[in-house]
Amino acid sequence: MMMSVRRSLLPGARSAGSAGSLSALGALLLSSLVVAPAYAETRGYAISLIHTATYSDPANCPSGGNGGVVEIKERILRSMGYSAEQSKQIIANNGVDERGERVDLRRRGQLNGQRVDVHSFPTSAPDPHIETPQGRYAYGFNLDGQVQPGSFEDPETGERGIDNQMWRVLGCYEVYAVRRPVVPYNESIAWDTAMDSMPAWLLSVSGDDLDADGDVTVTFDRALNIVMRDARGGVLAGSSYTIDADPRSHSVFKGHIENGVLTIDPGDFYMQGESQFYAVLRFQHTQLRLKMNPDGTLQGLIGGYQPWMDYYYYLAIRGEETGQVDMPGVYNAMKRLADADPDPATGQNRAISAAYYIEAAPAFLTTMEGRTVARAHDPREAGRPETSVRQEAALHE
Amino acid sequence: MSDLIRLCTCLSRGLPGGVRSGGACRHETKQCGRSRLFAPLAGALLCALVPWQASEATATLVRLTPQEYQRTINDVFGSAIHVEANKVQPGFRDEGLLAVGERKLTITSAELEQYEKLAQSIASQVVDPRRRSILVQCTPASEQGPDDACAKSFLERAGLFLFRRPLKDSETRTFVSIQNEAGQRLQSFNAGLGTALARMLVDPEFLFRIERSEVDPALPGHAQLDAWSRASRLSFFLWDAAPDAELLAAARSGELLSEAGLQRQLDRMLQSPRMEDGMRTFFTDMLGFDKFATLSKDTVLYPKFTKNVQEDAREQTLRTIVDQLLYKNREYRDLFVTRETFLTPALAALYGVPLPRSQELGGAVPWVAYRYSDEDPYVGILSQVSFLALNSHPARTSPTLRGKALRETFLCQKVPAPPADVNFKLVQDTNNPQYKTVRQRLTAHSSEAMCAGCHKITDPMGLSMEHFTTVAGFRTAENGAPIDTTGSLNGKGFDGLEELAQVLRNDPAVTSCLIRRTYSYGTARQPDAEERKWLANLQTELAGKGVRWRELMRHIALSPGFFTVLAEQPITAQARDAATR
Repeated sequence: MMMSVRRSLLPGARSAGSAGSLSALGALLLSSLVVAPAYAETRGYAISLIHTATYSDPANCPSGGNGGVVEIKERILRSMGYSAEQSKQIIANNGVDERGERVDLRRRGQLNGQRVDVHSFPTSAPDPHIETPQGRYAYGFNLDGQVQPGSFEDPETGERGIDNQMWRVLGCYEVYAVRRPVVPYNESIAWDTAMDSMPAWLLSVSGDDLDADGDVTVTFDRALNIVMRDARGGVLAGSSYTIDADPRSHSVFKGHIENGVLTIDPGDFYMQGESQFYAVLRFQHTQLRLKMNPDGTLQGLIGGYQPWMDYYYYLAIRGEETGQVDMPGVYNAMKRLADADPDPATGQNRAISAAYYIEAAPAFLTTMEGRTVARAHDPREAGRPETSVRQEAALHE
Repeated sequence: MSDLIRLCTCLSRGLPGGVRSGGACRHETKQCGRSRLFAPLAGALLCALVPWQASEATATLVRLTPQEYQRTINDVFGSAIHVEANKVQPGFRDEGLLAVGERKLTITSAELEQYEKLAQSIASQVVDPRRRSILVQCTPASEQGPDDACAKSFLERAGLFLFRRPLKDSETRTFVSIQNEAGQRLQSFNAGLGTALARMLVDPEFLFRIERSEVDPALPGHAQLDAWSRASRLSFFLWDAAPDAELLAAARSGELLSEAGLQRQLDRMLQSPRMEDGMRTFFTDMLGFDKFATLSKDTVLYPKFTKNVQEDAREQTLRTIVDQLLYKNREYRDLFVTRETFLTPALAALYGVPLPRSQELGGAVPWVAYRYSDEDPYVGILSQVSFLALNSHPARTSPTLRGKALRETFLCQKVPAPPADVNFKLVQDTNNPQYKTVRQRLTAHSSEAMCAGCHKITDPMGLSMEHFTTVAGFRTAENGAPIDTTGSLNGKGFDGLEELAQVLRNDPAVTSCLIRRTYSYGTARQPDAEERKWLANLQTELAGKGVRWRELMRHIALSPGFFTVLAEQPITAQARDAATR
């Protein structure tokens, strides 16, 4: 499990199998070619949901797990020197102690004689040594191609050797002890906020016959537009997005469709966000497994080796209370369990194997010049002719 | 006793709350201040309406629509005057148009209360010190009391545009006197002038288009409108607005009574940008867009039907019509087969077509001119949400409602209402494995003799639109079964909406229906026998070259009967309610 990945995680345009990052100009040229009409069809999608791929199981946490908000607070208070009874009383009094003063849980760290915020200085407080899942199952991918002792088994595909150390860090917190279709509460709030505040994340699939088995090209891009919502609050199927020409969030993979399941050959993935939560999502050795549904949507997993500080930031910005974790516990567990991208100087792994559940809704993707490069595919409209857009100057504005 | 007479009585007694059910007055306690002064005055003027209803058959009254009310206020006092939502009770259709039904409407007590509040709000904005110098244009001798001369000059100017004719001397005296009394009592020139203006704004001469007639020397037995009433009829017909200064001047000089003078005004008005307002109002009425107020769809089944779609759908059709008929001067019939329209991002998603987006979050919704490809199933205004969704049920299509709407809206035919004891269970059961498509369900339902007759009229056309869901999304199958979209009209067969649209485009009944509707809209009544003959001739004349909007409006405005008045009895509020039901 503790394999090393020697490539660094530099942001930039990436192409599967390429030796490194491309220059911005080269990437820009590439971006105009990736959906060139070498293929008969390109289908577009807007990512409509993404969250940690969780798999709750009674066997995961034999010691009872790391608890929820109350248990975490109690543990923190005990670490700060309060008795069990005092801790319960403070929690019952909404964080106020017997002297009537509010207990500052965030600034419980000690550094150079100062009280500091443990979100920013997670090593300034004792490591609570959180419990980690010991169960057999976790969603994800066999990233290193090996089946090693302690690796997981995917509960749906039965694939063994699943590398998902991120799940090992998070899986015993109560907020993550859920299974699809339930979304970890803290992440559902984060994604819901992000959808309305950052440009959409896009995906396109190009091939000669996307209804049949065969090789395809899978491309990720960021949009210039925020997602449009439908009447149920989800992403509006069939909505249109303009692709951001910025090459950083442009990632291209060789892919395959087999029995209606889309996969890719491993490569680097980078997607720039703007939300306070989703600053960036990036993986090395990225893998993808998406089921192509009859209603035109995609659902499945994306994963790879993720810089663990990215997810730490994601949790820290939310805070222990709404994130429902304790930051020193998460930080130290991530540091211990990280399994890729060692720092050349220290040997400390900077990336951790992870898997995310994602869904995507059919969408039209257009260039900044207004050219449609990917169509929203709805199998229920089978037989409908291709449409073309023609913009004209507004006639009577 | 009619509601109007009861209301008149109550207001005259100084009880502005109107009439309780049963005829008793509301607000029996005495009012004080401005409303105490205001109510009897409003009542007195409203009472002037009663004898007209009873005895003067040649005077016609058409209530201003909320839109016309707002447009008039903004035209007279500027767009900065805020007119709060004017919620009058829904009207009813006569001759397929609310505009004709409006002619038969009186004002209920609840509506009068609203008008009174609106009037006071508008008047207070007009005399607000920040605007008064611009709008009133004279300085009173004192701010603490009335000034008859200053008030008179303002009230005469405002009255000309609000009443659409000059004030009579007696009316001027009344309004100036109200100003004087209120100004003294409230010790304020502004309050006094505002009270007089507010009174003017609840006057039937403002709230109704009161058309006065004189004997028509050319048509014995008919009365024709006087010059001021002609100006109003023409202006509301073309622009859906009160006459502007130039048109009123033409009425004052008598120019409007001559054909040459009328032609001159028509030439001017037909080229005005305000034609768009008039066109929008007409088609909003003809296409039944008042039904948008109660449109509801099952968004669990149809999540693409967002609030934005509902708001944009009506505008899409109106923009398409205005663009085609007014700006491109295309034939009316082309509306059924045009590939050109306008889309917003929400509509584009519903129709399943790409639309590059450029607006920022929170920015104005961009309307993009759009042309469907020649093979696309979306063609003409019948394939738009405004027709397909308005004439469907919340969770399923209705070939019957769609066919009925086609017959009634575009062919001016009346489809009988279903019998009271009809059993719809079979049609409504969309999960019946024996009848997967609505065609199968309707076929089974129509096998009952009592249903068959009407469904033969409506369903063949409606079924040809079945590739479009209740929210106008495209589909090719229902419950997994392929959809058959064949149908026929007057022996002409078609398969699908596009072919149906082509058949409708070539049906002479479509253009004759538009001509008749437009005429009824302009005169706010049904045409009589003579007029129907004239309309038939016009249809023949235009059959070869097609109907173009400005040309049609000119023909009708110059028609022999356009400025005539036919005697017709107004109906009571109870009859209106019954008709609406």
